[in-house]
Amino acid sequence: MRNVITYVIAFLFILTLNFLLPRMLPGDPLMAIYGNEALIAMTPELKAHLVERFALDQPLWQQFGAYLLALVQGDLGHSYYYNSPVSSIVLGRLPWTLLLVGTALIISTLSGIVLGIESGWRRGSRRDKSLLTSLMAVSGFPDFFLGILLLIGFSVTWKIFPLSGAITPYSGLSGAALVLDVLHHLFLPATALTLSYIGASYLLTRNTMVTVLKNPYILMAKAKGLPDRVVRYQHAGRNALLPVITQTGIQLGRMVTGALFVEIVFAYPGLGYLTYEALLARDYPVLQGVLLIVAVSVLIANFLVDLSYSKLDPRIRYAH
Amino acid sequence: MHINPKQEIRHSKFAMFGIGMLLFLLIIAIFGPLLTPYQPNSQTPFAFESPSFNHWLGTNHVGQDILSQLIYGARTSLLVGFLTALLATILSAIIGTSTALAGGLYDKIVMRIVDAFIVIPAIIVIILVAAYLKPNLLVLILLLALLGWQGGARTIRAQALSLKEMGHISAARSFGASNLYIIFRHILPDLVPILLMGFIYGVRRAVFMEAGLAFLGIADPTTVSWGMMMHEALDFCYLNVWRWWLIPPGVALSLTILSVTGIGHTLEGALDPRLRREANA
Repeated sequence: MRNVITYVIAFLFILTLNFLLPRMLPGDPLMAIYGNEALIAMTPELKAHLVERFALDQPLWQQFGAYLLALVQGDLGHSYYYNSPVSSIVLGRLPWTLLLVGTALIISTLSGIVLGIESGWRRGSRRDKSLLTSLMAVSGFPDFFLGILLLIGFSVTWKIFPLSGAITPYSGLSGAALVLDVLHHLFLPATALTLSYIGASYLLTRNTMVTVLKNPYILMAKAKGLPDRVVRYQHAGRNALLPVITQTGIQLGRMVTGALFVEIVFAYPGLGYLTYEALLARDYPVLQGVLLIVAVSVLIANFLVDLSYSKLDPRIRYAH
Repeated sequence: MHINPKQEIRHSKFAMFGIGMLLFLLIIAIFGPLLTPYQPNSQTPFAFESPSFNHWLGTNHVGQDILSQLIYGARTSLLVGFLTALLATILSAIIGTSTALAGGLYDKIVMRIVDAFIVIPAIIVIILVAAYLKPNLLVLILLLALLGWQGGARTIRAQALSLKEMGHISAARSFGASNLYIIFRHILPDLVPILLMGFIYGVRRAVFMEAGLAFLGIADPTTVSWGMMMHEALDFCYLNVWRWWLIPPGVALSLTILSVTGIGHTLEGALDPRLRREANA
């Protein structure tokens, strides 16, 4: 049973890694914390202030203390590339990632469940086999390549969807037109994410259907003369749902990291694209801030799933 | 508990496709230097050439032959995939069996650490480390292996725990067999299917992550890889060069992952008794 301590260890590991990596590198730690380019424009006074702020002239454990203190106060550092606090940059980008991941998570889970029920109901039928094969094939594609294919097909060649971004810049749209514009930009990235994650919920539902269909109450329902559709969805499907719902929580973490890559393909201005920009600009404070936020959110999501896990179904054991 | 993985694979078309595909890629990777007329990194003044007799897939933005890069990319992907998975599987087998048999405080502490690593999103740790350390291929493999054995260790430990209670093991113990003897003679052979599955999924994970890192542009720039080719080609996707520059590495990568998935899925079906009867789906 995973408990709070597991998550505390994981959290401390991420914090320590974030703290140690720039400081263990050879050379000026300030350089590693902020990146070379950021320091070119720096005045000696500012430099002295920063050394004091990070306690860089103190022993390592005091530096760690200063680092933790800053984090507790919600201070993720300052980006000299954007010339603003990292926390406000991250908060500005967060809604786009949430929108993208949320949309893809809901659609991929729902359609995965429906397809899984249909597939598991008549296992071995032609429809089942073709569904299985095509969904396995689609989930074999890396998420960013799915994105690239969609981008080339629908944006470059047919020009149905926009090439990049989340809204049309300087369009001054508002109300319903703005919503449509956002959806228009959201469509391809969300489709790419959905396609690459639909396989997981589909396979799990299908496999759970196999066990559920063996139960006597299915035979009973059929014997009562209930229509096929009712037995399939209300008796079998509902009972196959639980593991899928709990797995969705676990998926959330993988999906957030998957969104990092898809966002880059479509230059979708969420946390993933921010990470990419930070990597290109060597904007280390932003890179650290984003990755810390994402890692901690994934930890929290996993923790909540763990909490609900045993409560919803004590039979489920930890397989992985 | 005795499962013959060979037989299960032979009965599945999907798995046979996977094995055939992997063999094909392996041959290309091994004989790559003989197949390519150009060095993948040698630049020529002839940039952005369309496919021709000299350059079957044209050239990229700095005049490198794309087909040669594609072939060398197979080497990188397979090397990273297989070596990482091998290291991770060995680590997970050692940790999994030793914690199951030793138990006690050792088991508790190690499993705590394992659990902590399972909940940490590995790709984020790797992006962070790679951004600072700029690892070469070998360091990348070690890094991926270090972050990739924990899930396997859990599964193997669970399996070893149930094997430990079986009759033939108690019998061996009563004859005075040592822990090591029991591990090698009785437990490891029965773990082979699970180890194999862990290895297969390890390959998939490592191939995927290497490609992802290269796609982000933080892999070793001197190593040609499919992810890096896609990273470079994406900047020019508004030109028609994507046809022979962007699509081929993506397809190669997807085929690799797909064939590995095919093998893994079949093994998984064979290992799960509830699904056994559909092994040839």
